[in-house]
Amino acid sequence: MAEAIQKKLHSEMEKYTQMQKDVSKSMSARQKLEAQLTENNIVKEELGLLESTNTVYKLIGPVLVKQDLDEAKATVTKRLEYINGEIQRYETLLKEMEKKSEQHREVLSSLQQEYQRAQGLTVGKV
Amino acid sequence: MAEKGNSSTEQLVGIDRLREEHQKVVRDCESRIQHWNKVSGDYEALADRLKTLPDQLSYDIMVPFGPLAFMPGKLVHTNEVTVLLGDNWFAKCSAKQAQKIVDHRMKYVQRELDDLHRTAKNFEARVGFVKELEHVSNSEGGFVDIKEEVGNNEAVVTKGKHRIAHKPNSKPKLDAVLDLDEEKGESGGESGDEGSRKGILTEEELWARLDELERQEEQQDEQDRLSDTADTNGEDTSSSSEEEKEGDAAHPVNGCPKPSWTSVPHSKLPPSRDMIEEEDEEEGSCLPTIYFSHTVEPKKVRINTGKNTTLKYSERKEQKEHSKKKKKNGHNNGHSHHELHKITTPADIYRLFVDVKNGEPIPRKSILKSRSRENSVCSDTSESSAADFEERRIIGRSFSHDEATHSDTSDGITEEDSPTAVPLHPASRFEAFSGTVVEKDPMPTVVPHLTIAPPALPTILERKQEEVASDVAPPAQEPPKRVSKFKAARLQQK
Repeated sequence: MAEAIQKKLHSEMEKYTQMQKDVSKSMSARQKLEAQLTENNIVKEELGLLESTNTVYKLIGPVLVKQDLDEAKATVTKRLEYINGEIQRYETLLKEMEKKSEQHREVLSSLQQEYQRAQGLTVGKV
Repeated sequence: MAEKGNSSTEQLVGIDRLREEHQKVVRDCESRIQHWNKVSGDYEALADRLKTLPDQLSYDIMVPFGPLAFMPGKLVHTNEVTVLLGDNWFAKCSAKQAQKIVDHRMKYVQRELDDLHRTAKNFEARVGFVKELEHVSNSEGGFVDIKEEVGNNEAVVTKGKHRIAHKPNSKPKLDAVLDLDEEKGESGGESGDEGSRKGILTEEELWARLDELERQEEQQDEQDRLSDTADTNGEDTSSSSEEEKEGDAAHPVNGCPKPSWTSVPHSKLPPSRDMIEEEDEEEGSCLPTIYFSHTVEPKKVRINTGKNTTLKYSERKEQKEHSKKKKKNGHNNGHSHHELHKITTPADIYRLFVDVKNGEPIPRKSILKSRSRENSVCSDTSESSAADFEERRIIGRSFSHDEATHSDTSDGITEEDSPTAVPLHPASRFEAFSGTVVEKDPMPTVVPHLTIAPPALPTILERKQEEVASDVAPPAQEPPKRVSKFKAARLQQK
């Protein structure tokens, strides 16, 4: 009895840690996106400061590729849109994950209690 | 007490944790502030450099050559810099423009710094508060929490029994109901008047009221039936003195029904009541009479024979009709109407049908036949089409027992808008009933032994009536027909 519960608890625990890993992963991704957002915002503002006589380059790999100013502006705006969309996506993803992990936690706690009961009063080391 | 101590230590642990977290946040903020300060300094240096860079055309500089060596060189194009905007974007611009960009970045950095300072301050304050709290809970500052345990002594001592809230009696005694009902009958007209005049009753209130009255009426009916069966000859013990007065002496033409009828146009309810025997009321005080009162309030239809036997009808009939009007040709009208008669003996049926001939009350010879043409207010069928009339005749033949229902529904159809329509068509007074009542020559020889026709007919009748209604419907004919029977009768009198 206790064995079975322990097994189950173990698998649940693994799942839960996996879940937490996912959560933290998407969390960091989201933070990255946030940083990119601010960076791109700054770029956009500074492109606004430039004049049409200025030449704009994009570093692609090891080379600087010459770009038109307007084109650059359009590209940056597009990129901003994309980043915003990504942030939204991650937001919903995170919410879902949080919900799931909450459920997992509940399952885990109930399982733990069961396990403890099955083992008498000895506390399972999980 | 042990528990208390435990909880306080727990609290202390919590406070410690809280303080730690707050301090962590503060530390984090501080480090970030340092970082931004450095960035800010860098940018300041850069701005300085950019300011002075274009001062000369070229500079002699030592160019770093790997991590170890420098070699002499020359810096040219002093007014030409390439700025990394971020996200791998570069822009070639003059030193002046570069300065602008630097300024912009400085602004951003400053903003960040401000934010961080504010956050740090906030959390420092919190740390201070937590520290204070720690002091307090450690009772170092001479502060003590006053805690009072609330015991489980729920058994509050009460003397005697607990009081029970009694519900008001839902069913009062029959006698009381009877009395109440009589009183209501007396005041019904006026109160209905008021209600309709003010128009304050909402529909829900109205229905609630009607339901209540219906209940009362049921009880009343029961009572009536009991007393009726007790003495079939008519000495109705249940009829109140007030009713007897009405039946014998008082002539209610000027009494209850009329004022209430006049009030009806103000109400939302169309005057659905049809006064079959309105005319009869004027004939004499001791006539067998059927009174219909037109009120929103408890309506009673009394059928009063000369013997003081009074039958009361609930206003459920009216209610049904009301609902019927709402639903436009509901199917339940005739049926419920008959249920309500509570006819227990054949004799009761005769009380329902009374004719007046030459000013004298004549009990209908046969209730299967329509009333005599000369006496009926609704005798004028000339307006209806021939087919219509024919059909009606058929109905009359087969179902004349339900005559009352006939005229009822006919009024329901024709009188719907009568209150407004009446003044518009004062001349066409008979047309209101042209479609519905079948008039036949009285057949005095017919012995009334057929009267025990079961009142189960109405369902069929109803169907027929609907057909009739659709027949009457042609819009060209309709407007002139919208005259109330009462109006017609009164106009006739004038």
